[in-house]
Amino acid sequence: MSKKKKQGTNLLYNMIAEANSYDDVIVMGRGDPDFDTPAHIVDAAKDAMVNHHADYTPPEGLLALREAIAERVKRINNIDVDPATEVVVTNGGQEALFLMVVAANGPGDEMIVPEPNYTTYADSLAFAGGVKVEVQAFAENDFRADPADVRAAVTEKSRSLLLVSPNNPAANVISPEDMRAMLDIAIEHDLIIIADDIYDLFVYDDFEHLSPASLPGGKERTMTLNALSKAYSMTGWRLGWIVGPADLMARVRELKAAISGGTSVISQYAGIAALAGPQDPVEMMAEAYRRRRRLVLDALDEMGMSYGVPQGGQFVFADIGFTGLDSGELAQRILTEQHVLAYPGSAFSKDRKDYLRMTFLQPEEKLREGLERMKIAMGNIMAERQS
Amino acid sequence: MTSQTKADVLKRHQGNTNLNAPSLAHVMLSENDLGADGLIRPLDERIIAATADALESGQTHYVDVPGIAPLRDALAGFLRSFAGAAYQQGNIIVTAGLQESRFLAIQMIGQNYDSIGLPEVVHPGVRKALGTRARKVVSLPVDTSAGYLPAVETIAAAVAAGCRLLFLESPSRLSGAVYSAEQVAAIGEIVTENDAAVIWDQGLAVWVAGDYASLAAQDSEVARVATIGEAFPGMGLASWFIGYIAAPEAWVPPMQSQKQIQSICTSTASQYGALEASQLFHEERRQRLDSLRESRNSVLQVASEAGLSVLSGAATNIIALRTATGAEAALAKLRSAGYDAADGALFGAPDVIRLNVTNSTADALRALV
Repeated sequence: MSKKKKQGTNLLYNMIAEANSYDDVIVMGRGDPDFDTPAHIVDAAKDAMVNHHADYTPPEGLLALREAIAERVKRINNIDVDPATEVVVTNGGQEALFLMVVAANGPGDEMIVPEPNYTTYADSLAFAGGVKVEVQAFAENDFRADPADVRAAVTEKSRSLLLVSPNNPAANVISPEDMRAMLDIAIEHDLIIIADDIYDLFVYDDFEHLSPASLPGGKERTMTLNALSKAYSMTGWRLGWIVGPADLMARVRELKAAISGGTSVISQYAGIAALAGPQDPVEMMAEAYRRRRRLVLDALDEMGMSYGVPQGGQFVFADIGFTGLDSGELAQRILTEQHVLAYPGSAFSKDRKDYLRMTFLQPEEKLREGLERMKIAMGNIMAERQS
Repeated sequence: MTSQTKADVLKRHQGNTNLNAPSLAHVMLSENDLGADGLIRPLDERIIAATADALESGQTHYVDVPGIAPLRDALAGFLRSFAGAAYQQGNIIVTAGLQESRFLAIQMIGQNYDSIGLPEVVHPGVRKALGTRARKVVSLPVDTSAGYLPAVETIAAAVAAGCRLLFLESPSRLSGAVYSAEQVAAIGEIVTENDAAVIWDQGLAVWVAGDYASLAAQDSEVARVATIGEAFPGMGLASWFIGYIAAPEAWVPPMQSQKQIQSICTSTASQYGALEASQLFHEERRQRLDSLRESRNSVLQVASEAGLSVLSGAATNIIALRTATGAEAALAKLRSAGYDAADGALFGAPDVIRLNVTNSTADALRALV
């Protein structure tokens, strides 16, 4: 195994750069599905290049795509939206996330964030000048954020409540009962809900995903994001959306116009094909993730790791405290010694140095190989501890 | 149920005049829409083929935040050969279009400065980008006789008064006017002597028929100037939203981090399309420029015969007129004849209209008379 010099300016950049330098690397870090985009979607993009390459698209996106999104969120999430006024197309889920946070929060405003969570929420809030108020959840409770803790976190400065379900990186799904309780809190304290449904098609066992905007009293105070990246393996196309009440979405539209102006028309036509076309590829990928999840959990059990059982998503957040190593140090050793990339929990929260996020976005054979290598690394580390 | 929180949020946004600055269409809505920033144009089959190849070979995943390396190389090479800049790959961030370039540059470079100097007449997208987070703006009066560019003396005065970051367009997005080589040299001196910095929008420079002087060429050590623009404009990629920022290396990390936060990376289809366009751009540009120059001369002839007041401008793809009765009346007249143009009021010049130079422009001018 050869190693090249590290590059980059921070932990993850460094690790990704190092991972890219190994021919035999097994990537269990970034949330980028290994499947290629389904062929019928690529074909639609090619058709768009010939027939629609110069179509005008307003900042909020092509109406045909917004109609397909409205149909999708009604069918999957039971959210009723008017495609003319209540949908904005974005450069991926990431831009959707940024726009929602900046739209809802200004300087000094507090956003309640069940932790652990995707760090970009905190980064976006910092851009807006807002303040993150954390509500902690842990592996022993499968990372369930208790509504009572959320209620206790409300102050006079609270403006918004973040609800990511399934969660990234913890992979828990907010139960329908808890979701109703969260909405009650939002109504009682007049909070705007920022809902992230990006993993809504990947829910396991008997867990149930519920969108807060689908509940009575939810829609008028909830902005909900989703994207094609995870469900259709379209991370490179940068296509996502926000749905929400018309008055808030009018402001989101102006922010979108200010930040990037519009979204690639080629990606938008590809998106129409994804949403309106055959859904078999999504089902095939979901089935693959179910198998891989089992495979990963079995391997973690063998290694003696505890974790919150992933109720959804495409990853597991495992407790590595027993190694005695900080997650950054552990992830670095696994990468350098075994050429397996997993993300340290410290990349998600300063308080999660005892966790590692591992995705199951590799073919099963590679996943098996990656897990075997991790076992070797863990064995070495534990042997060092005991010596 | 009424929500005071939502009402407060809406009030804050609605009171933000910069955020609510209007948007200009990025591409013509029809053959007779002469007000958009980009033209409708056929796409070269080689761009389609190269992009399709990339997608079919699996280039459908995340790529590096600042863009794919070959495109960054191509953009740096273009800026070296075209503008005399000293940029290398590490200076380049590929963006999801010109507006994202404006936003990232203004917000992230701007956070290092107390204020930003902005021409009174500037593309409305600039004010919109400022509207997302409060910035102190120093307004730079413009010289109407020089195509609505701020005079060098105005720039000097603003810098002397303590404004250390400037946003300048050359060519002007309204008139197409450019700073001369002497003026650019003078601006370069002011910037260097006062330890100031400039965000320089030179996106329309490729349509300047004669020599073009870029401020980036004055910044031989790549320390004080960030240039922004569309990636290989005029190649039919306007609706693919692909742009660039070229900046000193020290300025790149915060913009790259913000790019990660707001969009992770730029669409791979757009990047591979632009990469192929970079191969074709040089041959295409010369032909397009010759054609545009000829068309613009014809349009100027019509304008002269009709007694219309044309603003001085060097970019051959646009023409700006000062109207006697105000832009609103002129636009109404154009619309009644089936044409549209850009309203100068959106830029800050309410007596001016801007038209793209196309086969329809001369007829549109005749309709104005």
